[in-house]
Amino acid sequence: MKASELTSANNYFEDFEVGAIYKHARGKTVTEMDNVMITNMVMNTAEGHFNEDLMQRAARGIPGFDTRIVFGGINLSMVIGLAGQDTGEQVLEELGMDKIRLKAPVHHGDTLYAYSEVLAKEDGGRDDAGVITFKHYGVNQKDVVIYEGERRALMKRRSHWGDK
Amino acid sequence: MTETKEADDFRARAKDWPRGNRYEDFTVGRVFKHHWGRTITEADSVLFTTLTLGYNPIYFNADYAQAHGHPRLVVNPLLVFNTVFGLTVEDLSEGGGPFLGVDALSYPKPVYVGDTVYAESEVISARETESRPDYGIVTWHTIGRNQDDETIIDYTRTNLVRKRT
Repeated sequence: MKASELTSANNYFEDFEVGAIYKHARGKTVTEMDNVMITNMVMNTAEGHFNEDLMQRAARGIPGFDTRIVFGGINLSMVIGLAGQDTGEQVLEELGMDKIRLKAPVHHGDTLYAYSEVLAKEDGGRDDAGVITFKHYGVNQKDVVIYEGERRALMKRRSHWGDK
Repeated sequence: MTETKEADDFRARAKDWPRGNRYEDFTVGRVFKHHWGRTITEADSVLFTTLTLGYNPIYFNADYAQAHGHPRLVVNPLLVFNTVFGLTVEDLSEGGGPFLGVDALSYPKPVYVGDTVYAESEVISARETESRPDYGIVTWHTIGRNQDDETIIDYTRTNLVRKRT
């Protein structure tokens, strides 16, 4: 097994420039299967994600909340996932996230797309990797921003890992 | 006729068994030790990772994970977040109200498949909001720990929370 042959060649620490913004290649339609499966798998007990009858009866006047909504944790995971091959494939360690904002509800059948902005690059305190901060944005099929948030990760440097 | 009578009987005699808290329950400083705990299995992590397109092989290629110094597959940190979050929901947010945001999230240690996670939260702020008099805005500090009591995730979360009245 040679790790560098199993992953992309253009997404190491050296490849990212502060200020650059990327639109990632793929979108994903978030299905009922995704939402209900993951919500129930992680034992999130909030019925608003899995009880359609309740949502239709109890719509409390918040726009978009009259049908099941996708759990926000899934929205952010899906957006970061859509950005994941480009900005996460060479990651040794995810360090954290900050300023996560869920800006609009997502429903079954909505399609999400992801953008990433390079906010900062820091020395990782080691020769083989550096710390990079991204801001990820998620938009739906109507181009409404549904998610934004920052993410810090320790990413491989090509100088050390490019031929390993 | 008999069927209707039986149905009326059990429904009429039933008492609600409510779950979840409301805005009034969140006094600053209150600590919740959340229920259950959860062993994160390989099936959980690989399924979650593939459904969310989380394409870093340390989450789904054990050979690759071991070549990077890990004893076995690393659990996708977003699943660690979702699982710890899930454990907190009954106490914190099941009572109703949208999840607005998360700040200052860190992952001090990796989680490996087969590890068990537990969750605990403290109320750090609770305030009224003029735009929605029937809701308040609550912020909690949540910590997730593994079976060895080591912190594996730490964050603050903010929600709109419905009032009782």
